[in-house]
Amino acid sequence: MGEPPLRSTIVFALVTWALALSSDLRGDDALQINGFAGLRGTTRAENPLEADSASAQIQAGIDWSPSPTFLAHVHLLARTDDGQSQHGYAGTPEAYAEAHFPAGGSRFRLKAGAFFLPTSRENVDALWENAYAVSSSALNSWFGEEFRPIGLDVAWLRRGATIGATVFRGNDTLGALPLAPGWSLHDRWTLLGQKVHTHKDPFTQEDLYASVSAESDHRLGWSARAGWSSPQFTVLFTHIDNRSKGEAVGDLDNWRTRFEVVGFDYKSGDWTVAGETGWGPTDVFFPGGSFRADLRASYLLVSRRLGRGRATARFDEFTDDASHRYALTLAAFWTPVPKLRVGLELSVGGGEQRALGDLRYRFSAR
Amino acid sequence: MRPLAVFVMLAAARPGAAATTLLVEVRDDKGAAVPNAVVYAVPRARRPPPPSRRAVLDQKNRMFVPHILPIQTGTAVTFPNSDNVRHQVYSFSPAKRFQLPLYAGTPQGPVVFDKPGVVTLGCNIHDQMSAYIVVVDTPYFALTAGGPAELPGLPEGTYDVRVWYEGMRNEPLPQPVSLGAHEQQSLTFRIGKK
Repeated sequence: MGEPPLRSTIVFALVTWALALSSDLRGDDALQINGFAGLRGTTRAENPLEADSASAQIQAGIDWSPSPTFLAHVHLLARTDDGQSQHGYAGTPEAYAEAHFPAGGSRFRLKAGAFFLPTSRENVDALWENAYAVSSSALNSWFGEEFRPIGLDVAWLRRGATIGATVFRGNDTLGALPLAPGWSLHDRWTLLGQKVHTHKDPFTQEDLYASVSAESDHRLGWSARAGWSSPQFTVLFTHIDNRSKGEAVGDLDNWRTRFEVVGFDYKSGDWTVAGETGWGPTDVFFPGGSFRADLRASYLLVSRRLGRGRATARFDEFTDDASHRYALTLAAFWTPVPKLRVGLELSVGGGEQRALGDLRYRFSAR
Repeated sequence: MRPLAVFVMLAAARPGAAATTLLVEVRDDKGAAVPNAVVYAVPRARRPPPPSRRAVLDQKNRMFVPHILPIQTGTAVTFPNSDNVRHQVYSFSPAKRFQLPLYAGTPQGPVVFDKPGVVTLGCNIHDQMSAYIVVVDTPYFALTAGGPAELPGLPEGTYDVRVWYEGMRNEPLPQPVSLGAHEQQSLTFRIGKK
């Protein structure tokens, strides 16, 4: 079982080609590379705040946009902290092509490939970077590590209103990580083809893994969303159903998960208030029985831009039936020169404490 | 939206004004003032002078500031990014189709808007960001706020006064107005409910 890489690559190339042909291609400087190189030091802590004590990473987005209506994007990542996984040191978190079709005051956007669903109210920078803190909330740490639609997304946008729908493959293990090893706060986005360790099978003692790209039951998942935004306020409701059979296949820890997410942000001057809450059941099926857990995670953050810096306070709450935990995160960014960002973050949660320093150098090329 | 009903309410000379000024009010069908409407006076006889200034449309806290920017045709607009996140500004509008590749800080050069019309802006990273650049063939324009928009310093002559507002489907008929030297006139557009 698992991902058939050749077939996926061929399908992706064909869809990219078709979307490119459907657009009015023109223009120079169509190719662009943006990204950052980062160093991080962290005090030792266990879940939900576990991280390597020292780590480095480099991320780059390669964009080819020969027209305002067409974009092909590949996100590359290499890092020293792979979060105890297989194939987690270097690879591709995202690769997609998108085309826009203006129609009067509306536009349709068609996106094909592997991409983050646009639910997050905090991971709002390019490359799904968090704009407010170094680590993400428990909810978005989970999505970043265990949810990556690989398929087709259609969105309709008109004067602040958004309606979107997604059909995706993979993601059969969605729901495994919040239960084992449990909710966590980090920014380790899973790569396509990566397997993240969840736990040992209690009967066979074999290691089980979560993967965003492995497809073991050949059932497509789906998602739908609707939202509205004004220049200052955004609200978005999203439903996700991975339609997994929820049966372990090989070393894949499959779960059937249906999840709702409601998120908002409000901006006034230099202040931002943002939050999301997500909830839903996840089921696993095994010979002779099944098990269900209700997942729930929420956060609320308040952030203020301060000249060349930013300060943020975020409160997290997350539960998996067996445990109900909280976390408080204080984060500050400082940009002494335009391409350099210094980040400091203190987190307390689940009986653990973590102090974190993060240095990022941004680069771009055309 | 109901068809727009437009009429001129009043044209009253106010002696003693130092320069020719046109005050333009935009009101909805309930009589309430419509904010953020662009009003502009296009001279009939003369070709207006070319634009003399650059304009700036900033991006702050994932918002375009201002949300509506009226400019004269031929104006160069810079798009600084004052955020700590990157933006990718684009327009599909026929009046100006362009994109600024993903950037932070200030992009290299301004964008010149050389055709009149309404340019709808978006950001490809942040769907909720939107703004309008209203490109008009005259240097005499203003935005309404809580009250009338003031167009000061108009040379003597005849003008067609027009209005644009967000969500407009049918442009209200332009209103002709003749301005003498050293006078002030008022004009009101009454529009259907937005």
